[in-house]
Amino acid sequence: MTDTLAPALGTRAVGVDRFIVSLALAGLVLLGALIWLETAPFLLALFALGAVLGVALYHGAFGFTAGWRNLIIRKRGAGMRAQLLLFALTSLIMVPLLGSGQEGLIGAVAPVGTSLMVGSFLFGIGMQLGGGCGSGTLFTVGAGNLRMLVTLLFFIVGAVLGSLHLPWWLGLPGFDPVSLIDRLGVVGALAVQVAGLGAIALWVNRIERRAHGSLERGELRIRPGEAGWWRTLLTGRWPFVWAIVVLAVGNALTLVIGGSPWGITFAFNLWGAKALQALGVDMSQFEFWTWDYPAMALADSVLVNITSVMNFGLLLGAMLAAGLANRFNEASRQRPQGRSFLAAVVGGLLLGYGARLAFGCNIGALFSGLASASLHAWVWFGFAFVGSLIGVRLRPWFRLPN
Amino acid sequence: MPTAYRKSSVVAILLVAFALILADHLGSPTFAFNMGDGNVQTTLMQRDSTACAPCGAPCPSTRD
Repeated sequence: MTDTLAPALGTRAVGVDRFIVSLALAGLVLLGALIWLETAPFLLALFALGAVLGVALYHGAFGFTAGWRNLIIRKRGAGMRAQLLLFALTSLIMVPLLGSGQEGLIGAVAPVGTSLMVGSFLFGIGMQLGGGCGSGTLFTVGAGNLRMLVTLLFFIVGAVLGSLHLPWWLGLPGFDPVSLIDRLGVVGALAVQVAGLGAIALWVNRIERRAHGSLERGELRIRPGEAGWWRTLLTGRWPFVWAIVVLAVGNALTLVIGGSPWGITFAFNLWGAKALQALGVDMSQFEFWTWDYPAMALADSVLVNITSVMNFGLLLGAMLAAGLANRFNEASRQRPQGRSFLAAVVGGLLLGYGARLAFGCNIGALFSGLASASLHAWVWFGFAFVGSLIGVRLRPWFRLPN
Repeated sequence: MPTAYRKSSVVAILLVAFALILADHLGSPTFAFNMGDGNVQTTLMQRDSTACAPCGAPCPSTRD
C-alpha cells in the first residue's frame, strides 16, 4: 500500500469514471496494436500481463512501503504477512520452474556485496520519503497521483545517476551470485525459503502480539465485502489473497513468457538514458551502457524492451482500475507543496540510485529475487528494512504523516 | 463531487507519452527492419545469459 492511496481507500465514490475507463482502454488497444504490429506476440502477452498486474496492485492496494511502516509504527503485521505469503507462494511456483533446467529461463540472481547493501539501504529510506516502492510508484502514477509523478521523475534521474556510478560500486568488496537452487537443489532451496519466511512471520506476529495482545488476520481474508464478488473484482478493493494470487501467477507467467522474472526499474534507467541521448549525450562513454543488455536496450525501441512494455501495461492497468473505482487522481486534490514536495524529490532520487546499486527494487530484487531463491534478495530485504526504519523517522520532518 | 482532474490534461499527458514512444520506435532498428532494411541489428529478445544480474552487470569475479 502506498502512502497517498491508503487513506483514500476508506471511502468509495459511487459509479464508474467512464471517461478514464474509456481512455485507459483506448490506450491499451492503441499501444497493444502497435506492439502487435511492430514486435512479437510474446511482447503483446507481456503488455497485457503488465496491465493485469497494474489492476491487481491498485485494487489490492498492494505495496510494500505502508506494510513495512505499519509494522514499524503501529505494530500491525497484516501487510507484512501478506508480502511473506506472496513470496512463499511465488517461490513454490518459480523455484521448481527454475530448477527444472529448462533452457531459456533465467532467475533474478545478482551479486552480493557493498553495492547491494548500500543500494538497498538507500532504497529503504527512499521508500518512506518517496511514498512508494518501484511498483507502488508506478501504479499510483497510473492512477493519476501527481506527487508520485514527481517521485517517478526523480526515480528516473536517480536511476540514471546510479547507472553511471554502478561500475565503481562493483569494484568494492563483493562476491558472485549465490543461487540456493544451484547449491541445495529445488527441495533444499524451498525448505530454506519457507523456513526463512516463516521465521520472519513469527517475528512479525511477536511484535504485533506484544503491542496489541492479538493478531489482525486481514491478510487471510478471501471473501469480498458487502459489494459482492463481481463488483469487488471490477471496482475493488480486493482482499489481499486475490492480489497475492494474481501477482504470484503473474510473476511466474513473466518468467515463462519472457524468460526472466518480473522487473520494473531497469526501464526507468532506459527511459532516462534515452532522454539524455536525445539531448545529445553520448551514453556509450559510460561503462554501464556498454554492457550487452543495457547497450542492446538503448540501441533499439522501447517496444522490444520487456520491462518497458510491462511498465506501460501496468500504468494503463492501474489507470483502468482507478477509473473503475472512480478514484482517478483522487489523491491529488491536495497538491504537493513545500517539504512534502521535497520528500518526493529526495525519496525519488534515493529510490532510483538505490535500485540501480541494489540490482532492482522491491519487485526485481526482492520479490523476483526471493522467488528465484537468490541470496542477494535476502540481503536486500534486511538492508532495505533497516533503511525504512530510518525513513519513517525522517517523515515527520518532511510533514508526512506516519 | 467534481472530478479531481482536467480531462484535457489527462488526454494531453497520454498523447505526449504516446508520441515519445512512437518517436523512439520510428528511429529504432526494429522499425527499420520492419520497413525492409535488412542491414540493421534488431534485439527482439534482449538477453545476456552471461550477465551476473538482471541489469546486465558483470560478475565481481570477472572484474579483477
